[in-house]
Amino acid sequence: MANESEVRGAFDNLKDAILKYDVDAAKRAAQVIVDKGMEPMLAIKEAVAGATGILHERFDRGECFLPHLVMAGDAMMAAGEILESAVPKESIPAKKVVVIGTVEADLHAVGKNIVAMILRSGGFEVHDLGVDVKSSTFINRAKETKADIIALSCLMTTTRPYQREVLEDLESMGLRDSFKVIVGGGPITPEWAKEIGADGYGADALEGLATAKRLAGIEA
Amino acid sequence: MLSLLDIAERMQRGPKMDENVWNMGLFQKMNELTERYQLFYPKDAPVFNLDWDIADRAFRAAIDFLVETGIYCASTSRVIQLSEDEVLSTIKGMPKEVTVGEGRDARVLKQRRLEEREQLNHCPGHHAPFTEELAPLVVKNFAQIPTADYLEGINFPEVDGREIFGMPLEVYAAKREATWMRQGVTKAGRPGLAIAYYPINTRASVLIAPIDREAGLRPSDGILLSVLPDVKVEQNLLTAAIVYEEYGGFKLNGNGGGRVGGFAGALGGALIEGIVAVLTGWIVYRDIACWGAISTGAGVDSTKELSLRTLDVWATSVWSQALHRHTNYILFMGAGGRSGPGCENHLLEVASKAVTIPINGANVHITRQSRARMNASQSPLDAEFAYEVATAVMRAGLTRDTASDLVLKIGEKLKGRVPEAPYHDIREFYDLVHHRPLPEFEKAYLKVKEEIASLGLSFE
Repeated sequence: MANESEVRGAFDNLKDAILKYDVDAAKRAAQVIVDKGMEPMLAIKEAVAGATGILHERFDRGECFLPHLVMAGDAMMAAGEILESAVPKESIPAKKVVVIGTVEADLHAVGKNIVAMILRSGGFEVHDLGVDVKSSTFINRAKETKADIIALSCLMTTTRPYQREVLEDLESMGLRDSFKVIVGGGPITPEWAKEIGADGYGADALEGLATAKRLAGIEA
Repeated sequence: MLSLLDIAERMQRGPKMDENVWNMGLFQKMNELTERYQLFYPKDAPVFNLDWDIADRAFRAAIDFLVETGIYCASTSRVIQLSEDEVLSTIKGMPKEVTVGEGRDARVLKQRRLEEREQLNHCPGHHAPFTEELAPLVVKNFAQIPTADYLEGINFPEVDGREIFGMPLEVYAAKREATWMRQGVTKAGRPGLAIAYYPINTRASVLIAPIDREAGLRPSDGILLSVLPDVKVEQNLLTAAIVYEEYGGFKLNGNGGGRVGGFAGALGGALIEGIVAVLTGWIVYRDIACWGAISTGAGVDSTKELSLRTLDVWATSVWSQALHRHTNYILFMGAGGRSGPGCENHLLEVASKAVTIPINGANVHITRQSRARMNASQSPLDAEFAYEVATAVMRAGLTRDTASDLVLKIGEKLKGRVPEAPYHDIREFYDLVHHRPLPEFEKAYLKVKEEIASLGLSFE
């Protein structure tokens, strides 16, 4: 049985590997945790989630960029697979799934990309549908992936109604209670979110993550 | 020189690539080019770049990017590949100047030389939402600004009292936007003033709908067809570009810059992306002018550290120098800020940006709050103030070297301020009926103008 200092060292190694965006080192660190009989789920909670918090702070300060979130996400996923393989499947909480995109007739992608990366590195399984996404595509993909959340972005006053369309379509299909819906983007306000009946709103990516976590029942 | 039809073919036939692969490849290539051409922020860098060589290296890096990586079509998930000869010969085809508008309202847009005293072009207003009952009056007010060379369109959620939702209403709204704009400039006594259509959205049908020699977009008007971030283009915009190329009409790229933190990565990558985005706008859509900057996101934010804002100024100066030294491209730069219009803070932010415009050889673009809000994003006085400051800088004969001090001093005045009054309806601080600021706003304007004058600028 590993002592506390060995556990701390192994967890720190995993956190460092993620923060260095090093997939191989993250895998090695995760394997050590498994081989030495340390608690894999505690490693996910402390090392992986700890790295995520640091990454998001760095991103907010402009010290790391979108590609770094992608690479850190890859390292987290690789380590996570190894850690999760060491515990019974039923004890692994299912990953919360988000389907995200920019609504129909709107090609703006920057904000949506940032939110997608922040959500992914925040532990969500993210399906990014891109830009100019029709309501039916959002809903079909959410059904296919058994999504928990549909995240709708737009950057034009004139494309805001397409956010509402998704909510209306969900309602008319009897699916409104199947998914939480969050909205964001340049012209979006909390008032608009309320008016169209969205479940949440994010003024920026980190607020979007906090909203998504709250809606998905994940502790902050 | 590549034609738009050449581009259209390559959009359909270029190699397929997953968008995520493109994004990460972009990051790697930008890092590689940043190293290859040593595009780093120098220690003890001046506010404006004084080293032509780094500007030339940045331009060369952009050419290498286009030749070695290409341009990504987000509609077809294909890469538009280009040879060096094609890129260079197409760049050589950029016009030196473009006439916009008609009759006595016709104006020539052209590339200004760095630090020179040539008259500035000015697009004072819009690219912001206004409600339909207010729109024609707002347009009239901006058209009344004597220095206006063209106006950009407005955005609005309703047309004839109906929400703009679905393609038929979008097409109808696109036509009405051009009509209202034309009515607005006519009411101001400037019927020939050029209008640049701000698309209701990005469907090809909606982009093309306002074409109408009598009541809508004339061949002497323009349209905004912007390159997407991460060097991506798409087919609706190219479709429109092809139509407008035959009809006439100048085309503008609203995304000519680069942003630190995206898939281009750090400052060097954002700088290269900014140059590539401008070249791509010309190659793929025949955009003849753009507005933009290289940004850490701090450039318009008075709450950010001064050091970050000067980093933006330096990088933007390298970007503009690269484009001026190697192309005929016409640059515009906005002078907006994070604060809402109608207040002292916003005017200081405007001044801080406007100082850099002539030094970078750019023209004055819309002075607007960075996050636009309905009826609340801009006023004619902010736009006129930006133009006044930029002109005063030229009159003072400031150069890249001597303007630095002024940028730093205005930056000091912004230090520690919190953005104020972000969402004031324009009617709360500007009298649109009589085309003048309300007394409190006028007082703030005169105060800020005096403060800026005390730093060495003279206003006429």
